[in-house]
Amino acid sequence: MPNPSFLASVAVLALSSLATAAVAASATVAGADQIVARTLPNGLKVVVWPDHDIPNVAMYTWYRVGSRNERPGITGLSHYFEHMMFNGTRTRAPGEFDRVMEASGGSNNAYTSSDVTVYQNWFPSSATKLIFDLEADRMRQLDFDPKVVESERGVVYSERRSSVDNDNFGTLLEQMQATAYVAHPYQIPTIGWPSDIEGWKIEDLQAYYKQYYAPNNAVMLVVGAVDPEAVFKLAEHYLAPLEAQPAPPPVTTKEPPQLGERRIRVQRDAQTPLVAMAWHSGAAPDRQSRVMEVLLSILGDGDSSRLHQRLVEQERAAVQVGTQLEAGFDPGLAWVYAVAPPGFDVAKTEALIDEEIARLAKDGPSTAELAKARNQALAGFWRGLQTISGKAQALGTYEVFHGDYRKLFDAPAVYENITAEDVQQAAAQVLRKENRTVGVLESPPPGTAAGTAAGAQ
Amino acid sequence: MNPRTLLIAAAASLAGLCVGMASAAGAEPAGVKLPDFERVTLANGAQVMLMPKRDTPLVALNVVVRGGALADPPGREGTAALLADLVQKGAGSRDAAQFAEAIEGAGGELSVSAGAESLVLGASFLSRDVGLMVELASDALLRPAMAADQFGKVRELAVQSIAAAKDSDPRALVGSYGDAWLFRGHPYGRPVGGDETSLATVTLEDVRSFFAAQVRGDRLLIAVVGDFEPADMRRRLEQAFGSLPRAMASPPVAPVAQRGQGRRVLLVDKPGATQTYFWLGNVGASRTDPARTAQDVVNTVFGGRFTSMLNTELRVKSGLSYGAGSGFSRPAQPGSFRITSFTATESTVPAIDLALATLDRLHKDGLDDQALDSARSYVLGQFPPRLETNGALAAQLNDLALYGLGREDVDGFAARVGTVDGPTARATINAAFPASADLVMVLIGDAARIRDDVRKYGPVTEMKLTDPRFAAR
Repeated sequence: MPNPSFLASVAVLALSSLATAAVAASATVAGADQIVARTLPNGLKVVVWPDHDIPNVAMYTWYRVGSRNERPGITGLSHYFEHMMFNGTRTRAPGEFDRVMEASGGSNNAYTSSDVTVYQNWFPSSATKLIFDLEADRMRQLDFDPKVVESERGVVYSERRSSVDNDNFGTLLEQMQATAYVAHPYQIPTIGWPSDIEGWKIEDLQAYYKQYYAPNNAVMLVVGAVDPEAVFKLAEHYLAPLEAQPAPPPVTTKEPPQLGERRIRVQRDAQTPLVAMAWHSGAAPDRQSRVMEVLLSILGDGDSSRLHQRLVEQERAAVQVGTQLEAGFDPGLAWVYAVAPPGFDVAKTEALIDEEIARLAKDGPSTAELAKARNQALAGFWRGLQTISGKAQALGTYEVFHGDYRKLFDAPAVYENITAEDVQQAAAQVLRKENRTVGVLESPPPGTAAGTAAGAQ
Repeated sequence: MNPRTLLIAAAASLAGLCVGMASAAGAEPAGVKLPDFERVTLANGAQVMLMPKRDTPLVALNVVVRGGALADPPGREGTAALLADLVQKGAGSRDAAQFAEAIEGAGGELSVSAGAESLVLGASFLSRDVGLMVELASDALLRPAMAADQFGKVRELAVQSIAAAKDSDPRALVGSYGDAWLFRGHPYGRPVGGDETSLATVTLEDVRSFFAAQVRGDRLLIAVVGDFEPADMRRRLEQAFGSLPRAMASPPVAPVAQRGQGRRVLLVDKPGATQTYFWLGNVGASRTDPARTAQDVVNTVFGGRFTSMLNTELRVKSGLSYGAGSGFSRPAQPGSFRITSFTATESTVPAIDLALATLDRLHKDGLDDQALDSARSYVLGQFPPRLETNGALAAQLNDLALYGLGREDVDGFAARVGTVDGPTARATINAAFPASADLVMVLIGDAARIRDDVRKYGPVTEMKLTDPRFAAR
């Protein structure tokens, strides 16, 4: 399939922010009153949600650093750094972190977005002390082995070839992201440009570590079969000794208003042409972003959505349609995309999307559509809270992007108050042609050379 | 974006799950037990399993219809899959648009998909909407409209979606070619979703006949987990599904495929690809294989986790790939065991050689006690989250019922893991992990740049990624 997971991963927030939406005012989340949060003197905030449904723990550590903090020459460094967090400290050899964790029954992963880098550990509660030790160790004394620094470049390059160069959607979205922003660093692809993947230096990693991997730039969520007091004891012991650092330099560049539509055409061998549109939208805490979630949900979420019904079911102008909202620390992009059938004139697909947007801007959503968006948000909220991982992710999202994990539980009021006029207005104000970038990917005309991957090596 | 660990895509074309492992809680003894549930058999033979779980106001429904794509008529691969799509396009009193609206308007989820050995309906609704959920599910499975215009659309979309997948990340497709190449001439080699060629031949009549023969009362396994009243739910299900008549025949059963000897290579040409995606496999094990837990423990060490032998060699030590792994698909009869990875086009041969050498090392050296200890802890520690959600529990109940396994498959897991010692691991390696000389190989990549070099692995058959099928001619 045209890989919607890639889109989802570009927009870390997108689905989760809709999913973490509406708790019916009447609904209370079991165990939410047991959540305890404390901030250590060094500025590290630790939030604990005891949940004994299974004998396991999810520990998520969020750092406020992502590709938004990069510049030409070090694009992709945040993500590459994420890889290096697993590759050795002054007292643990490269690979030992994983070997020790897995031998004690734990597993881990991590992801990097434009805004944040998040480290995830999943383990039986019997390993809690050990995991604190491992996590504190790499926060305190990460080390960079020159040999690993080189081999990990190859790993990241392979990752780039998979998610961007050999995937048409990945290719198109990267090109559009770079076009939609002329000033703000959201234009930087999180995986990094190929020449930078080849160029990162150990000194770049060392500077990044000092600047961004400070306790006062992080939040830790611990959810699962734990006793909060025991967790805080471990936090005191392992994490309190970490030294606070000066606050990282803020990202001050603001994207200037877009003055007219931008269009790009990407040539790659494709049986199914692609069209995508990206509009400048809002930041995570803006009310406008909640409105945009509802708007995009009505447009493209599920088989009953307007775009699916019109393009896929009625006109046969798309194999698949979808929407996505990026809303982070700074104003992100609202996306609409479609996969056209083989041999289909993608300009017609685009024209139909335009018609549906114009219709929504002119007439607004129906009462039933608003109710549907609210119900989907409510059910998505509960689905996210079925697992300890989902809880850790939801708490982290609200703590980092909305300033307080407790806002997770206030969200319903916000959604309940979104009106048809709000949605109609957002459609008219945000989904304007002058405010968008349109990207088309299709095969080169016969007789010309096929486009080769941007990162072809 | 860009998680550091590759999750090896479970080649979902066969019904059995199972790239992953299984296991229970940390240190040792008891491990996770399946929560209590109630089991009822309806008069028409449908089996009902009910497990109340009240931590969220949600209910999950999982309905398995035994007998899946194995019942597709010859040459009409994709019949079961098209039926699965079609039953969602209008059922009961609702047309296609109304059916979608009813699900999504309530914030619900409901989807139907085909596997080799079953059709599966999965649904998740807010508990206030359980009545609607049961109504929609039973409409889809008992009263699908199966209208001609909708059939034309789902068939066309299925063909177009394969084309779209071929424009996307080849990791998602390499297993389809792998199964077709490994199980040549065997039912497990037939693509569950069909291919562009077979889908074009499937008729609405094929789909209707399949429905009439296969979607029957005694083929149903119905599991409900979540926030509901058991007595009330039992009544609802009896009313909704109890009237479906029994089938005239038993579900189809695949014959046992024999493990292949020697090597053969399928090279799928994707011109301009900067990376080669490879799949190396042979016939592995069945869902009920008594050694399945031992296989999971051994596979954990070999290719089932980040520090596995394969990932250590191909990623951690050499930087040749973002990820490498191995896994079993375990349907009713032995399915595939395969190694998968990908690497830059120019390092195709070094990467495959390294994968083969790593498999040789598994056979030659076996596993030491330290590796076994670590793997046992890992599968035990990672097991509980697999049974955390309503949907996962409902699917587990039906999986056990489908393959004739009791709750001891879950409850006894920790104990079984504990018995996997050195000799057991050695026997499992010999029995379930192929020798590197006996591998069926699929490579998706730029044929012009690798075709000469890969001849050394065995006779090469070539096809194009854009050919309208997954099997070589």
